[in-house]
Amino acid sequence: MVKINVDSKGLSCPGPLTEFVKAYRTASNGDEIELTATDPAAAPDMKSWCEATGNIFEGVKEENNVYVILIKVTAKKF
Amino acid sequence: MGGLSIIMFSGTVDKFIPLGVLTQTAANMEMPVKIFVTGWALLGFVKEGYKNTNKISKEFEDMAPLLIDGLRNTHTPSWYEMVKSAKESGNVTIYACSMMANVMQLKKENFDEMVDNVVGAATFLQESKDSQVIFI
Repeated sequence: MVKINVDSKGLSCPGPLTEFVKAYRTASNGDEIELTATDPAAAPDMKSWCEATGNIFEGVKEENNVYVILIKVTAKKF
Repeated sequence: MGGLSIIMFSGTVDKFIPLGVLTQTAANMEMPVKIFVTGWALLGFVKEGYKNTNKISKEFEDMAPLLIDGLRNTHTPSWYEMVKSAKESGNVTIYACSMMANVMQLKKENFDEMVDNVVGAATFLQESKDSQVIFI
């Protein structure tokens, strides 16, 4: 189990999700990925991505317009 | 899960950008994507054709500087890079419309390597029967 940090500050949709998915491809079930974003659409988009793929949205914290989004990887098929 | 099917008709960059964004996003969400390229969009999918897709729709041409600067500021990749990366990582199939290809005298070998096949509308619609279909 590892924690992976992904920084997408300054990117707009679909940048944060695309950067996140690059990390997700190398992750394993049980890992956590922390996505940092400035795009306010990133957190709701990550919730939808979790619904679509079966991973777990663990929460989001916002400070000074920076969003820190935590996802638990549970739906990797390999 | 059903997929996303996109009928790509328009040939200007302000229409190619949503093609890139939606294709990349659907691939990120593990949805299958099918793109049926027809009309003026075919010119963006011939070999090297993506290099000539910088024109913006006539009615919005005074918005071009805002669009170009905004895309640079948000580090958004080009539509071509988005579609290409979606195709490399996801389940994305790109078809060229056989009727418009005939009209423009284009054959399979004239198209960008991303184009999987030249097919008719019936093939695309049958393969899209469980998908959302949108027209750009």
